[in-house]
This record gives sequence, structure tokens and C-alpha cells, in this order.
Amino acid sequence: MSKPRVAIFDFAGCEGDQLQIVNLEEVVLDVLGRVEIVTWREAMKEQSDHYDIALVEGSITRKSDEERIKAIREKAGILVAIGACATIGGINCMKNFQDEKFVRRYVYGDKAHWYNTYAARPVSAVVPVDANVHGCPINREEFVQVLKALLQGKKPFIPNYPVCVDCKKAGNVCVLLKGQFCMGPVTRAGCGACCVTEGAYCWGCRGLVDDPNMDAARELLGRFGISAGEAIGQIRLYDGYREEAR
Amino acid sequence: MGGDMNLAIIEKEGLRLFVAEILRQKNTVVGVKDQSAVSSIPGDSGFYTYAPINSPEELTLSFDVTLIPPKKYLLPAYEQLLTFNLSPGSIKADVPKEELIVFGVHPYDIIAINQMDKVFSTVPQDNHYLERRKRTTIIGIDPVKVAPRAFWSSMGADTVASGFDLMLTDIGQCYVVDVGSKKGASLLKMAPRTREAAPAEVKERDKVRAGARKRCDANRLSFSYLELPSLLDGKEEHVIWEEKSHLCFSCGTCNLVCPTCYCFDVRDDVSIDLKKGSRYRTWDGCLLSDFAQVAGGGNFRGHRADRYRHRFYRKGQFIYRRFGDIACVGCGRCSAQCPSDIADPVAVFNRLKEGI
Ligand code: SF4
Ligand code: SF4
Repeated sequence: MSKPRVAIFDFAGCEGDQLQIVNLEEVVLDVLGRVEIVTWREAMKEQSDHYDIALVEGSITRKSDEERIKAIREKAGILVAIGACATIGGINCMKNFQDEKFVRRYVYGDKAHWYNTYAARPVSAVVPVDANVHGCPINREEFVQVLKALLQGKKPFIPNYPVCVDCKKAGNVCVLLKGQFCMGPVTRAGCGACCVTEGAYCWGCRGLVDDPNMDAARELLGRFGISAGEAIGQIRLYDGYREEAR
Repeated sequence: MGGDMNLAIIEKEGLRLFVAEILRQKNTVVGVKDQSAVSSIPGDSGFYTYAPINSPEELTLSFDVTLIPPKKYLLPAYEQLLTFNLSPGSIKADVPKEELIVFGVHPYDIIAINQMDKVFSTVPQDNHYLERRKRTTIIGIDPVKVAPRAFWSSMGADTVASGFDLMLTDIGQCYVVDVGSKKGASLLKMAPRTREAAPAEVKERDKVRAGARKRCDANRLSFSYLELPSLLDGKEEHVIWEEKSHLCFSCGTCNLVCPTCYCFDVRDDVSIDLKKGSRYRTWDGCLLSDFAQVAGGGNFRGHRADRYRHRFYRKGQFIYRRFGDIACVGCGRCSAQCPSDIADPVAVFNRLKEGI
């Protein structure tokens, strides 16, 4: 059996997720033993239009992105969004709540008219996505897990429970118990609660769970003196494309 | 065993030497530490956690309650169950082999372990759990400090008659030791200068226990916990379930921190060359939104209120009907750790009792 052909593409993002793939280190050779990478701008010169799996980083921020991602979707048997920008829109979506012209000028200065940008959105807002590898950046282990599931023809396991679960399993002291604010109770787990484990709080980079309890979140934030507006701001940090954040 | 015939005394200094001797003989010991000694993250002090002990000084016996119960040693958060090869096909079970001494377990947590023993030894018995249990020595300690949300005194969990190998009570100058098993008796031989407890010391133990019970009574069920199964009868449509679960995050904290909750999920991890792999289990909880989801996407408890209610029925009625135990021991962990403070069994059960 020939190896599945993999192509890696990037849209609006910082390439941090591709960097995580480059950094696979101890398993990178095993991965390369199982798949053939045929297109990857960040790491190789060659390109090919024939691939089975497309890994897509970054959010869609231009009309021209739409055409490109649709063409990728056409060719790929399986399309995987990797990283918060691709899976949920990510921090790019912060601009969706500001004046588009202002933002464009702020970034591109007097060349602003070269770029026909629009509100940022996740890949799934434009084409169907088969699997999401969440996070900012992605967790390497989870990336490999998803890849392995796809190679087996299985649906990858993407948690739909909050970060609190990962925290309990890690044995962390709950940030809320310490009287500090945390996005964990509404944020999708799978990260192993890494930020809390390292002494920070959850910022919500993996986006909201499918059915977040926003009433409970508002109430919780209120207890920390955070207004409903600020709460929405916290969600917009990564997950501004979600209805709950608008 | 148990019973006053077996009561011994260890002096405070003797206990220190006892722990040191256990460690010197290369036993693996876990006990309670202030979380700040485990995590080094500012703000983590004042919370207790079970962790490996390397010297007697690291051990705290005067804790109120730990964040996570000792179940994490009998049913670990992640546990590899077996490994397999796909070609040629073969399966090999991972049998837990490590002997472990858990030093310092409160009676309510021992009662919870006794319940898990019952559950996991019921056919089909769970060999991984039972093997770990067999290799675990439990040294109990009666609580002196009482956690603010604890209510074990009204759950019949202030003392425990079995399930421990040794049971200590701090009566001030020394510990009264109850020997609960042969394993405990032979372990106690490592302790220097033990002697038989005098009647006055046994009385002192009763006083210490009564004192803790009284402090715990500040937060209690307003009725006998044995009434719970019948109290819950016909309360399925009570407004409380909708009302309270309105603020439920479905975060599963109340399950995962509970000493009597034992649900797990089983998953396979296959190597990247797809030639071999392992099967492991990991904690799961009935409050999580996808817990009762089945193939095809159907979900038996798709609404928060259904999941929220399920936990209370399980605590107060379902486990009782199946195993004869009330599946809440009153540790108060769920009450203290629920982000919305809606998980407190005292609040829910007392309100159902009031009938409003
Ligand atoms: S239901 Fe709550 S109080 Fe009761 S045993 Fe479980 S965690 Fe402790
Ligand atoms: S801990 Fe509280 S918020 Fe979380 S699932 Fe339990 S009841 Fe709901």
C-alpha cells in the first residue's frame, strides 16, 4: 500500500502550529515513515496537487482565501484544521469587532488598498472540516493522536468537556478555589490543562465546548467583578467567531 | 477485626520513627502533603493532596480533606490495562505489581474505598482494581480538623469498622492505633516502643472522635441518611433539578473529586506504524455532556438537568438499590470544588426533605 500523501497549507496565522509539527522530534521519523509529505511551504520546495490529507493552518480572512481553501477541499479526501486560527478563528477574529478599514490600515499602512480583507473566520465557516486539532499552539501529542486515528480510518477523539476535567486528572488546585478567574469551565479540554499546571489560568485558546453554559459563565465572572462585556471580551480573545461571543 | 482488644499506643516520636523505618525498608509510601509542597505555584498552600512521601517530615496527618481522594491510587486517572500486537495478534494484560502504603486516610474515604471494593468485585470483577487494592495498605487517621463543607458526621461516616490495616487517632501526646488486619499487625511491628492502650487513653480517643463529630455537625443533613432512597422516590420531576442545574457547567468536577464515583472511559492508543498499541482507561463522569452519548449521536441524558439529577439519584438511591450503600460519604469535596457551588448534597437533600 502506498503511503497517504499529506499536504500542509497555511492561511492567516503565525505558523506556530506548523512549527509544532516541525518540532515533533522523536516521532517525526515515524510519522514520515507512515505518510508522504508532498506540499509544505514552510519546510520544502516541492509542491503537488495530489494529496489525500490536507492539514490547514490559519483562518480565512479574504475572499481569495475562500477560493483557495475550496480548491484544497476539492482535492483532499480528508481536511484537518490545525490550531485555533483554523479551528475556531482564533485571535484573528478580534479584528471582527473593530472597523475593518482601520484595522487594515493599522496593519498594512499605505499599502492597505492592496489587501481585500474581511471578517476572519475558521476554515469550517467556508468548507466542511473532517477533524480539528485545537489549541494555540496545537499540542504535538494530540496532533499525532489525530493523525493516527485518520490513518486507521477512525474518527479522532476530540474532547467536548471542559478543561476542569484535565485539571482534576492533573491534580491541580482549581484556579477558582484560589479566588482567581479562569476560562476552564467553558473551554474545550484536551490540552492536559497545561496553563493551569504551569501556574497560569486557562485563557480559552481551544475555544468553547459545544454547549457552554453562558449563564453560568456570566455568573461566575460576576463573582470576580468581571462585567458581562469583559466576559465577552475574554471569549473574543480566541473564539470571537462563535455566536456566544457576538 | 478492630475492637478495643487490638488498641495500641504509639508516641508521637515513635510514629516518626515508624514512618522512617517503613521508608528505610524500601516501601512506597504516599501520604498527605500541603499542595504547595507538591506544585510550587504561589497560592497552592492550604490545599491538601496525596503524594509520594520520602521522609516522615513530609507527611501531614492533620489535614481536613484532600482535593482528590485516595481513589487515584486504586483507580488512577489514566491506567494502562493491556498492550496488544496486531500482527501477529496477541494481547498482554498489564497487571499492577507495585505495593503501596497509603498513610493517613480519613474514615469517610475508607468507607468509600469499601464501596468501590464491593462494586469492583461484583461480576464481572475488575482485576486491575482488585489487584491494586490487594497491594495497597491503608493506614487510617481520624480527622481532627473538619473541612468547612464536610458533612460526614451525618452520613454515618465519622468512624469506620473495617477496610483499614491500621487506624490512628491523635489524642494529643500520642496516637491510639487500632489494628484492622494481619498486614497491619505485622507492619506495626516496625514501630518502636508501642504498648497496649490504657482504658483512659481509649476514652480519650472517644472524646477526640466526639469532638470532631460535633464540629462536623455544624453542616449536616437534617434527617437520617438512611432515608435518602425513599426520600428520592417520586422526586424526579421536582423543580430543584432544573433550577440548580441552570448554572451547571457540565464540568464533571463533582464526579471526579468524589471518592465514590468510579466511572471510566476505555480507549486504545495505537503506535504510529499501526502494528501495536495499548488500551487504557481514564476517569469519566456522568455530568459530562457526552457521557451518555451512544453510537449514532443519541444521548440518553442530553440535558444538564438530567445529568445533574442523575448524580443525586445515584448517590442516594441507585447504588443503594444495587449494592446496599448510600454512595455519598459526606466528604464535601463536590460542594467545595463545584465552580457554581450547586453540587452540595446537603443543600439539595435538605431541600427535598423540606418538600419545597
Ligand atoms: S457526593 Fe460529594 S460529598 Fe458525597 S462523597 Fe461524593 S464528593 Fe463527597
Ligand atoms: S461541579 Fe458543579 S458545575 Fe461542574 S458538573 Fe458538577 S454540578 Fe455541574
